[in-house]
Amino acid sequence: MLKHLFKLIWKRKKSNSLMVLEIFFSFLILFAVWTLAVYNYKNYAHPSGLQTDNVWVAFIDFHAPNDTVKMQYKELVKQQMERYKAVKSFAFSSTNAPFTFSSSNNQFEYNKKKVMSEVMSVEPAFPDVMGIKLAEGRWFTKADEVAKFRPIVITRHLKNELFGNENAIGKIINEGESDNTPTKVIGVIDFFRHKDDFQPLSNCTFVPAGRWEDTMLMKVAEGSGAELEAQIAKGITQLGKDWSVEIQQMNNMKANRNNLVLVPIIILSIVCGFLIFNVALGLFGVLFQTINRRRQEIGVRRAMGATQKAILIHFIGETVVIATLGLILGLFFAIQFPLLNVFDLEASVYLTGMLLAVLSVYGLVTICAFYPSRQASVLHPATVLHEE
Amino acid sequence: MIHLKNIEKVYRTATIETVALNNINLSIEKGEFISIMGPSGCGKSTLLNIIGLLDEPSKGNVEIGGKYTIGLPDKELAKFRNHTLGFIFQSFHLINDLPVIDNVELPLLYRSVSGNERRRLASEALEKVGLSNRMKHYPNQLSGGQKQRVAIARAIVGQPEIILADEPTGNLDSNMGNEIMDILTHLNRDDKATIVMVTHDENMAKRTHRLIRLFDGSQVS
Repeated sequence: MLKHLFKLIWKRKKSNSLMVLEIFFSFLILFAVWTLAVYNYKNYAHPSGLQTDNVWVAFIDFHAPNDTVKMQYKELVKQQMERYKAVKSFAFSSTNAPFTFSSSNNQFEYNKKKVMSEVMSVEPAFPDVMGIKLAEGRWFTKADEVAKFRPIVITRHLKNELFGNENAIGKIINEGESDNTPTKVIGVIDFFRHKDDFQPLSNCTFVPAGRWEDTMLMKVAEGSGAELEAQIAKGITQLGKDWSVEIQQMNNMKANRNNLVLVPIIILSIVCGFLIFNVALGLFGVLFQTINRRRQEIGVRRAMGATQKAILIHFIGETVVIATLGLILGLFFAIQFPLLNVFDLEASVYLTGMLLAVLSVYGLVTICAFYPSRQASVLHPATVLHEE
Repeated sequence: MIHLKNIEKVYRTATIETVALNNINLSIEKGEFISIMGPSGCGKSTLLNIIGLLDEPSKGNVEIGGKYTIGLPDKELAKFRNHTLGFIFQSFHLINDLPVIDNVELPLLYRSVSGNERRRLASEALEKVGLSNRMKHYPNQLSGGQKQRVAIARAIVGQPEIILADEPTGNLDSNMGNEIMDILTHLNRDDKATIVMVTHDENMAKRTHRLIRLFDGSQVS
């Protein structure tokens, strides 16, 4: 039967080529959307490695004339924060704190292997505030400030890139191009998704905070709201002349960052949905027209012993075979993405995207073909055989 | 072989009721070659469609090969058509997008017959109608007579007991018509096929065993 369908399709190749092209372009669009969705879902499925509930971020502008004064100001703020019972823990961080729009990168070198990584300067209380759990080693403490090597905690992604399967704890690595103090890895964390919920596993390094960090992260008691926020903001601004404070909830900051990823995907999906809807309408129309043109053939098939079901399957089958031709063409192009490692995504992401796109196309054509094919199957053979 | 009892066919619309067949009683024995004649619109094709299980009568019984066919489910009817009946149409009804051999194979597609076996049976059927040299041609590359011979090959490929021919010579000149009648006569005589043929042509009807005349939906002889 398949050979029979191929013969019919081949003989009508001119009219079928348009459908093949439609399927081909639909597949490419669906492949792009599904691949993007799979990529983001896979990232989302990883644990984030941090807790943002009840975490607030205070962006403080001290207007300090120099770092020494800034240090004194920060001490004042810390003393002030100790007074709020609802503040469970707090830590100063560099401006590239989680879910901010800042970024700070540096290069790390081990055994001549150079790797770029996000660098976050944080105080020892940072893991308490963010609910970070260490997978290996320990976090740095006050005592590490006088150590010979600068202690750092790294993500497992960075650990794997720098050391592979070797144990990272205790490894001395060089930071940056300059003659910085060598750094020593003292801890490894498995996950740290700090840009948005869809960020892939990435390199991140935590170094002890210095003098200039003026972004404060605080973990507050559950149920804390605007009242506490106002108290803290007022308390801090009263400490110094010209100080300004802006407090944001980290969940809101994360939602904003997520939107930056989600909105383009949603827009793309809507555009894709619109295109696919048009393709579906086109397919529907073409199939209706084709079946209308082949009414006598349907009558002949019924007279020769085809059941209604056989006619239904025949026309759906023809559409599926045409779709398969479009898919083969589309898969030829799609397979180049994992082969050429375009966009540096895992092959499994592309392959899953392809599989979902193939299933979507088959689903689409089956739905589009079903109604016209059903109409064909219920045609009265005696009537259509006598039509001129 | 074929027994029609009190067959009535009425076409109804919201306002009009048209009686196409009225109280038709007909028995056709195995191996008979009968022709049905009558003016246009007298119900010849309707009767053939009812015998061919392509249409159902409004009243009456149809018995073919000892089996009552009224009310049979679609699957049973299709199987019956496929195994017991072969159709030949005035306008051939070949599928122009398929080569001759595939057109002839068509009834076998709806049976569990292997591809090789289909090809063998179709080749044999084409040989019988003298078209074994046109297997790979497309219908639009054939003359009217050749097309009808292909249609006959398609009708006999499944070795049905009954062949229903709806004006098989209607679109052909007399020479080609005679050729087609020769083939049908041969099928009836040598292969013992029961043939029911609708025709307008008295000469063709004379070559059959029996003539049934219809007028305004009723059997007149």
